[in-house]
Amino acid sequence: MFNLAFKNFNEILDMGGHGIYVWSVYFIGISIIFISFLIAKKRIKEVQKKIILKNASS
Amino acid sequence: MLGWTWGLLFAPQDAVQGNSYRIIFLHVPSVIFAELVYFFMAVCALMHLVWRVKLAAYLIKSAAPIGAMITFIGLFSGSIWGIPTWGTWWQWDARITSTLILFIMYLGILTLHGSFSNLEKADRLMSILVIIGVVNIPIIKKSVDWWSTLHQPASISVSGSTSIDPSMLYPLFISVIGLGFTLISLGILSSRSYILSREKNKKWALKHV
Repeated sequence: MFNLAFKNFNEILDMGGHGIYVWSVYFIGISIIFISFLIAKKRIKEVQKKIILKNASS
Repeated sequence: MLGWTWGLLFAPQDAVQGNSYRIIFLHVPSVIFAELVYFFMAVCALMHLVWRVKLAAYLIKSAAPIGAMITFIGLFSGSIWGIPTWGTWWQWDARITSTLILFIMYLGILTLHGSFSNLEKADRLMSILVIIGVVNIPIIKKSVDWWSTLHQPASISVSGSTSIDPSMLYPLFISVIGLGFTLISLGILSSRSYILSREKNKKWALKHV
């Protein structure tokens, strides 16, 4: 169950001709999730900044 | 990451689909959570409409972009998987079409909420739309049983037997758990910023910055 399914790095990339489909899905999927985290963190900082500025001016 | 590494590198090749089946470790968790996020939103919508829980509406608004994002990943990964497996990236069959409707529902919910300047009214109408859209969830789930579709029937079941070998099932299970925790973390971040933005005039908000 824990044996590597491929013999070398080229086989991992190629995946019997399916590598382009498999790796593109994971690359784009993980990128979208990662970008979502960055956006969420950016929004928190923006809201915190707004609240601090609002209270500083009042 | 553990589930994906296991599935991508250590799980054996599928006898029929070859290595293209490895997309399953992202596709299946994505579509599971595409439906679960909507179900969560429907529970929140009910709480908002029946008990007027303000926080429930905030959670719907925070969860909807995450639901749209994960549904898009599910549709996208399924389309790419379809190219080597079915010979086409898209087919208007019941499962794929009902999942596309779910994606459009998420976008519709966000658009509806964004189109009102009165946010309390927007919360109420958004909750009603979420409740209406929940009818699509059992349709997605049962579409492969009710209609003859290109999409294969469910290979795993919570209550029944599974047709997947344990060497593929375990990494899939870990991928589902891992993506679940990832989305919960994203949901906490997203809801934190939205709650703060809605309650920014309250004194307690200052204590949380």
